[in-house]
Amino acid sequence: MSHPAGARPFTHMLAAVASATLSGAVGRAVSVEVHVSNGLPGFTIVGLPDAAVREARDRVRAAVLSSGLPWPLRRVTVNLAPSGIRKGGAGLDLPIAVGLLVAAGELSPTCTEGLAFCGELGLNGSLRHVPGMIALADAVAPLGLVVPLGDVREAALVRGSDVHGAATLGELARVLRGQGDWPDPPAPSPSADHGAHGAPDLAEVRGQAVGRRALEVVAAGRHHLLMVGPPGSGKTMLAERLPGLLPPLTPEEALTVTRVHSAAGCALPDGALFDQPPFRAPHHRASIVALVGGGSWSLRPGEISLATHGVLFLDELGEFPVAALEALRQPLEEGVIRVSRAGGTVAFPAAFLLVAAMNPCPCGEGVYEGACTCSPASRARYRRRISAPLLDRFDLVVPLSRPDPDELLAGTPGEPSAAVAARVAAARGRAAERAQSASGAGEGPELAADAESLLAAKLRSGDLSARGLHKVSRVARTVADLAGEDQVSFAHVSEALSLRAGRAAVAA
Amino acid sequence: MTPGHLPEEAYAAALASVPAIGPATLRGLLASDPPSVAWARSRGATEGSVRDVARIWARHTDAGIAVLVPGHASWPARLAGDPQAPAVLFCRGDPAALDAAPTVALVGTRAPTRYGIGVAAQLGADLSGSGVSVVSGLALGIDGAAHEGACGAGASPIAVVAGGLDDPYPRRHSRLWERVAECGAVVSESPAGVRTEKWRFPVRNRLLAALSDVVVVVESRHHGGSRHTVDAAAARGIPVGAVPGSIRSATSEGPNALLADGAFPVCSAGDVLVALALEGAQVPVPAPGRAPSRPSRAGPAPGTDLRVYEALSQDPASLDDLTRATGLDLSALCGALERLALAGLAIGVGGWWERV
Repeated sequence: MSHPAGARPFTHMLAAVASATLSGAVGRAVSVEVHVSNGLPGFTIVGLPDAAVREARDRVRAAVLSSGLPWPLRRVTVNLAPSGIRKGGAGLDLPIAVGLLVAAGELSPTCTEGLAFCGELGLNGSLRHVPGMIALADAVAPLGLVVPLGDVREAALVRGSDVHGAATLGELARVLRGQGDWPDPPAPSPSADHGAHGAPDLAEVRGQAVGRRALEVVAAGRHHLLMVGPPGSGKTMLAERLPGLLPPLTPEEALTVTRVHSAAGCALPDGALFDQPPFRAPHHRASIVALVGGGSWSLRPGEISLATHGVLFLDELGEFPVAALEALRQPLEEGVIRVSRAGGTVAFPAAFLLVAAMNPCPCGEGVYEGACTCSPASRARYRRRISAPLLDRFDLVVPLSRPDPDELLAGTPGEPSAAVAARVAAARGRAAERAQSASGAGEGPELAADAESLLAAKLRSGDLSARGLHKVSRVARTVADLAGEDQVSFAHVSEALSLRAGRAAVAA
Repeated sequence: MTPGHLPEEAYAAALASVPAIGPATLRGLLASDPPSVAWARSRGATEGSVRDVARIWARHTDAGIAVLVPGHASWPARLAGDPQAPAVLFCRGDPAALDAAPTVALVGTRAPTRYGIGVAAQLGADLSGSGVSVVSGLALGIDGAAHEGACGAGASPIAVVAGGLDDPYPRRHSRLWERVAECGAVVSESPAGVRTEKWRFPVRNRLLAALSDVVVVVESRHHGGSRHTVDAAAARGIPVGAVPGSIRSATSEGPNALLADGAFPVCSAGDVLVALALEGAQVPVPAPGRAPSRPSRAGPAPGTDLRVYEALSQDPASLDDLTRATGLDLSALCGALERLALAGLAIGVGGWWERV
């Protein structure tokens, strides 16, 4: 539009800087175009910015001035391309500032070539953390990436040595001008491996033979567990110890877990990578969006995604809103939750192990029939909150009772987590081996004859449904794996049936 | 339509259907006047009010509900001298069943144990088989179990319910309700269309006691509703029996306290027949337990099974208790328990195990 007027040396200048914005748990590449031209001094940002991006104007201006760099007293227009998608968060502060310095002639256009920038600016010119750095780093590949110094280790998880950090805008400008080297990222603090030892140990649980065994089976077979027991029977205590029994995360799992936590803006461990299975215990008043993920259009992963490859513990299952529980059914089947909003659909990983706890009835005493003081109507109402399809998702429904006082006071610690975890790892190994050689054998010879007739008897008497039969068979297989046996015996099936006996107390 | 077309029972039903008129008021109204006069005095003798009577009457006849008033041929003899006899009684089934045989009320909690359900069903069947009508309230739990046992076992069962007879309550018992109406009688003090309200239950319990020759409490909590039935029975000099239970079971608190107060113990239908002074009646010998088809081997196999069997008792024990008592690992313990269950020697419900 503006033609050279001849009289003035400066007419207009354009710069484009690569960056990315977060959409759900994935990043999208964004090109930040800055146009500086003659005209009334002003600063406009276009291209569907959210409130945080619009506020970048003030942050960028203050940061540039605080860093001792000149602010162009001209007309500045910033366009975030592609213009059709929404951009959120403060991570675009840094590319806007860099683009502005290039367009104003403070930096040479060549020095930003092959680089992308992500970071929030402080008014004093410092560079600050932005959430979702892993996803952003993915999105700008194969360009090199410049991020706040504290985020270098996180971005480097997926990008290796292509990532550079800077502490302030001024420092960054000096490096880009070739007046200095990239600073080293801070070293991880020495107590980096606290995760493995921070989890509570199973040795602290006294008695509870059935509860402990249920955890072992759940960890070995990746089964979902529902504990039914009166208040004070140790449901929460047991659930908290389950992550300690699970094998450490594989590198891919660790990256997925870290990616989701990063996108949710959660603090990452010192080593930047989660190597232990996460444990999430949302309160029963949590909203559906908080549980499954969502938000208006900057979609954020929910608790079930943060629990991926770990444990999602729902205490007081009966108190959760029915709609929230029903929303768990799809992720339980597929390991993925798809959240659709006006802005689009986002899939978050949600391959969690569901552990839930509930009282058998409102008074809490109804595990053993006759002990409960609730009216039949209130019991029925309480049970109706857990729909049959949801109840069917639990492979184990374990009735718990309060521990024996003698055992509580005896002071003999139970088996430590490490010993149980070793058995779990061995059982998982057996299961994996079997899955690899599963082509020939089939299911038939795996089940002992008397075990099969026990299942048949349970089917005929109506104690077991067809779906229940499938669940019991799977759990019995895990029990046999834990025992190190190839064939599923009568005792294994019996135990699997017992680990499901709590259904009688909660099924409507 | 003139008043002449409608029987006195129609006016009685109409008076009982007026929300402001409770059982006591109704009794007062009908003490001095026949129902049609009482109706005219309280509601006016206009054409509109008579049309109401006709509508209410049609509702009862359409639903097969008989309306009984004192002096009626089928008015139960047991209510003749009762101090709080209802002024009008609604009945489905055969009103003659109310007087046909000696009657025993089997009552108890709505949340019983398996023990209570078993005993109630057994007593119901055995008593009915000896020609005794079982009276109960068709509530969930003990009441329902007693009638399940009694229906079709011999004598006509009698149910005394709190609400209108056209609206089965609780819904879960609609089927049982029909069966009782078919082979016996269902009676109520409430006219058709009356919802079951809370205050009607104690009133129902009083009528239930009045219609019975003996009242037996099977299982009840300390302050359970059975207390109303027992009090009403005591006020009428009707003998009260109680089924003894474990001192640890909350549902046996009521009967055990009754036993301490002098109620006669009921361990079989025979005890009830003795109380009925009916010793001449043919008494089916109640089998101990339900005589499951025992396998050829009489006891548990020696070894693990025997060890587990010895750890079991008549009181339910959790798997945690049993692991502690036997020292077995869970697989071996569960295997032994399932084997005992298949042999009919043990039973497990909801993770609790006991000897059969």
